[in-house]
Amino acid sequence: MLENLQTLILALADDELFMGHRHAEWIGLGPILEEDIAFASIAQDETGHAQAYYQILTDLGLSTPDEWAFHREPKAFRSAHLVELPNFDYDYAIALMRHFLYDAAEKVRLQALTQSSYEPLALLAKRLQSEEKYHWLHARTWIERLGRSTEEAHHRLLAARDLLWPYAWALFEPLPNEPEMVEAGWIPPSSTQQQEWVSLIQPILEPIGLWKAPPTEAELTHCLGARHGVRSPYFDELYAEFTEVSASEPNADW
Amino acid sequence: MDYPGAKLPPQARPMAKVQDEVGHAQLLYSAAETLGKPREAMINDLLSGKSKYSNIFNYPAKTWADTAVIAWLVDAGAIINQTTNAKGSYGPYVRALERICWEESFHLKYGYDSVVYLATGTPRQRAMLQDALNRWWRPLMHFFGPPDTQSVHTEKLVRWKVKLATNDEMRQQFLDMYVPKIWELGLTIPDPILHKDPETGKWVYTDPNWEEFWQVINGNGPCNKERLAVRRFAEENGRWVREALRPKNAHYVTPLA
Amino acid sequence: MTSLDPRIRRAEPHLSQITEVHLEPLNHWPTYEVFVQRTRGGHAQHVGSLHAPDPDLALVMAKEQYARRSQCVALWVVPTHAILWTSAEDEDLFQPATDKSYREPQGYLNSRERLEKYRDRLKPIS
Repeated sequence: MLENLQTLILALADDELFMGHRHAEWIGLGPILEEDIAFASIAQDETGHAQAYYQILTDLGLSTPDEWAFHREPKAFRSAHLVELPNFDYDYAIALMRHFLYDAAEKVRLQALTQSSYEPLALLAKRLQSEEKYHWLHARTWIERLGRSTEEAHHRLLAARDLLWPYAWALFEPLPNEPEMVEAGWIPPSSTQQQEWVSLIQPILEPIGLWKAPPTEAELTHCLGARHGVRSPYFDELYAEFTEVSASEPNADW
Repeated sequence: MDYPGAKLPPQARPMAKVQDEVGHAQLLYSAAETLGKPREAMINDLLSGKSKYSNIFNYPAKTWADTAVIAWLVDAGAIINQTTNAKGSYGPYVRALERICWEESFHLKYGYDSVVYLATGTPRQRAMLQDALNRWWRPLMHFFGPPDTQSVHTEKLVRWKVKLATNDEMRQQFLDMYVPKIWELGLTIPDPILHKDPETGKWVYTDPNWEEFWQVINGNGPCNKERLAVRRFAEENGRWVREALRPKNAHYVTPLA
Repeated sequence: MTSLDPRIRRAEPHLSQITEVHLEPLNHWPTYEVFVQRTRGGHAQHVGSLHAPDPDLALVMAKEQYARRSQCVALWVVPTHAILWTSAEDEDLFQPATDKSYREPQGYLNSRERLEKYRDRLKPIS
């Protein structure tokens, strides 16, 4: 049971950890000061969420959040590939589209977790919803506007959508031993969450010409395996940078 | 966040500090804009090299210890600078500075905390910290500007009560507040004659090379080109976003003071 | 350019190709004035301005720039151009030219004195 709980929580936490890290790469480089500031808050929020999830495991007598974050082998991570992807070309369309697809999934995920039979998760999910409310407001406000603006913006968003599409759907790859987690009442099935996610994003993307059919199995394959320890090709460079300071003196406090 | 056991994650602290600095830019541009100059014009001046900015930003942050030293001592210098200016009379500027000083005091505490971790850490961490301090000492001594005898604008600005302390006065204040704290950490300062004269109560220090200061201020420091190149990149890279959402038929109005 | 910052290195070669940038007017959007209500029942207070393309994004961005730490229960944004204001030159508009203490409590300090005098006149002559 503990192993399943660890899997579930690491999937949630690792997604937040690297999403926060990728968003943070925009600090100082955003398209305008005001948005730079707003996006930086979202980055910090995600990092804080990761910490809070890891803390649940710490409270059960397992490793500390720093140990989870900085001292694991790649295959011990459970992050979706979507959050490991770099900020390609510093294209803000990719940043916003990823943020939109990811935070829609967060909204669904958190709502489901508030009903979890595992109380620490339910309590934490309830707390995180207030920040997630802002993330969703921010994401949908931007996408709805940019999607209706210029041809260039629409073109970039379309290209971003094409790039990110299979990765976004792969957010809902079933977790190892998921049926046991569902049975225990911890979370609803990933497939159910995915349906809710679709019904959240389709009405927004369709009117602005940014919706398309789900990815085929062939398109999905290279995005899968994340929840079982398969990392994306981008992970090594990401993690090397992430751990640059901590790795320089492994047993030190910073 | 009072979730049991949760502490602010280490990565979030520098994020919050850098975010604040971007926020300070926004606040100060907004305050300046109330005087009638649009933000675009100010940014154009910066990118063309016409506006000057503090020397301290033209040096590289080579290690984690650099970021700790910067967060502690550069922000300490900034607080001394800004606290004196915050007593001035222009409302929007004063309002911006009040908030900036408050946030800088978080940076200072965070910086000092990071420095203490390094100073009380492994030999390698202590060495990293000492090395960073050695490299940042001279820029810090330059930070408050040239000596009063050489500073062109000071007399006028002091007379108009825009600047409430001279460069040397602020430098003395900085040394008085922070040299003892640096020594308390067991660090050395790369100035063999640095000491407080018991009779005058003033700090005696080796006059830093002011030629370097003028070079850096005028665009020839280690990082000037990079700093401006990054700003140009950020502006140009984000242009499509700003243009996409710019309202048609908008007209410019000076923001309210 | 080889920056120490990997984020900057990753922005190459595009970054070094940008040599001149000029922002035309309104490139950074028009401005909105921001008001923060700190507590329920409190007054919304002007805290500054920001650049935004429309009211919704103004609100979204104002939240983080003006309320990420501050105690805040509500936020207002108003396009700067929607606000009309009097200028410093017209400060005298607010100065009365004649004594208008008749509309202040302190304009009525003599009632008691008048009453005392009247009562004194009424006292029987012994």
